[in-house]
Amino acid sequence: MKSKILGKRISVYVLMVLITVITVGPFLVTLFMALKSPGEGIYEGILPQDPTMVNFIDSFEKANFGTYFLNTVIVTVMAVPLNLLFCSLAAYPLARMDFRGRGLALALIISTMMVPFQLYMAPLFQIAGELGLRNTHLGLVILQVSTAFGIFLMRQAYLRVPKELEESAYLDGANKFQVWYKIALPIVKPTIITLAIYTFTFTWGDYLWPLLNTTKSGMYTLSIGLAQLSQNFDGSNMKLISAASILTTIPTLLIFIWLQKYFVSGQTDGAVKG
Amino acid sequence: MEKIPYTTTNIEIKTAPKKRTGVMKILTPWLFLLPAILVLVVFLVIPIIEAFKWSFLDYKIIAGTGEFVGLDNFKEIFTDDKFWLAFFNTILFLVIVLPLNVFLPMVLAVLVNQSIKGVGTFRVLYYLPVITPMVVAALMWKMLYSQSGLISEFLMMIGIFDQQTNLLVNSSTALVAVAMITVWKGLGYYMIMYLAGLQSIPKDVYESASIDGASSLQQFWKITVPMLMPSITLVSVMTIIGGLKVFEEIALTTGGGPVGATTTLVMYIYDKFMNLDVSIASAAGMVLLVLAIGASLLQMKLTSKREEDLRA
Repeated sequence: MKSKILGKRISVYVLMVLITVITVGPFLVTLFMALKSPGEGIYEGILPQDPTMVNFIDSFEKANFGTYFLNTVIVTVMAVPLNLLFCSLAAYPLARMDFRGRGLALALIISTMMVPFQLYMAPLFQIAGELGLRNTHLGLVILQVSTAFGIFLMRQAYLRVPKELEESAYLDGANKFQVWYKIALPIVKPTIITLAIYTFTFTWGDYLWPLLNTTKSGMYTLSIGLAQLSQNFDGSNMKLISAASILTTIPTLLIFIWLQKYFVSGQTDGAVKG
Repeated sequence: MEKIPYTTTNIEIKTAPKKRTGVMKILTPWLFLLPAILVLVVFLVIPIIEAFKWSFLDYKIIAGTGEFVGLDNFKEIFTDDKFWLAFFNTILFLVIVLPLNVFLPMVLAVLVNQSIKGVGTFRVLYYLPVITPMVVAALMWKMLYSQSGLISEFLMMIGIFDQQTNLLVNSSTALVAVAMITVWKGLGYYMIMYLAGLQSIPKDVYESASIDGASSLQQFWKITVPMLMPSITLVSVMTIIGGLKVFEEIALTTGGGPVGATTTLVMYIYDKFMNLDVSIASAAGMVLLVLAIGASLLQMKLTSKREEDLRA
């Protein structure tokens, strides 16, 4: 009996390790590729014979990834606080105030969540051009500075705030804005962090819109730079692509390690009804 | 006479603050909403309305004008073999991804839901693909799929192929190969959905089942799977909604090829846009919208039904 349980436990671990090979393996292969020295054949074994950082340095010096990195940071630093501010503001009356047009506003916001980006990317491209947003950092974040998903997520959080807390603040003479800022906002902090993470990962990795709205390589984000680099997908370029891929992933990875639990809770909050 | 102004001012004093709070009461919610609504209207609502209009016009994006052509754009796509190929590929893509997305993450969730040492670490390791930027995921897999890459070597080793093969350049395997990237990227995401579902199953159900002598496998099929039905429907619908929009996995690995084998609706729209056939792109986008709305309505129906079930 005991050995049967032990055997079962070992097979569970073996299975879990095998799955890890599938989920993490591609990262390791890419990392090892990135560490290979210039003379080394890309398919001569998985492990680098003579590990070197030269490909990482090259991606900055020769492939201009410093600029792309900076652009991506600028865009993300713009998108995250703006989206948090606008969504947490907009969601509050939708959850807590009774006013004409609330149902309509809410229905409109939620219904836009269903519309695939590919339907309206061409008109958006034209509007961005007319507003002078082509090849600008602001132009790259227009889809992230206030999102229907964010409003929806924040509204769900406000709905869970106990009404009594707000009511006692009103009795103390606070106005709506003060109640929002001093009572509701601190309580929904976990959701704000969740939304921050979502906005960060989405903006950091966004590809299609930056691809359309950027024509100058000086405005490329990491995703675009990486995609451009991979146009030449041959052996000579593979190590450089790998190094750039790792560099692009590291910031999200660090955020993930730092704020792990919010990833998971946010995902279930956002999905159960969205 | 003298009394009248006195009383009116009296009334005014009483009503004036009320009037102001009345205006403020109407204005306040809209002040909260203003910044977000402004951005959403300019960059989301107006483009969507424009796309609707363009699908009935012969729109020239450079000139910025177009004539009304009625349903001609729709007629054109519905008689275009490439559109139907893209439509069919989209459905086929969903058919490949759906069962894998429903089943594999469920197995992962059951594994990491056990109270054994190290499951926390495994959860994190399974979640890594989810946070990877899509472009990176696509390129990593393109590398793995290459002619002399690891997958090709592995398939030779287990005897599926007798020569080096790049699954992405073979028209009969390319769509499956691309779909695997989507499945890989979603494993951890749907695992978390299932974990939430698993944690709502009462433990004593399993205990009484083991007392009755049910094996782990029997417990999985007879208890876990039926009890996870709400999560299964949720995962299915999310897979459909997400699968309709798949872009990077295809654009960066096969570009829709070989000979259209991986051209989905989204790739079709993208190609039309790149050719500046924006009205055709909009018409095809409307078809995509109809599919997405259908899937979303299905989800709403299922989740509201689920809420009713929970209340009952």
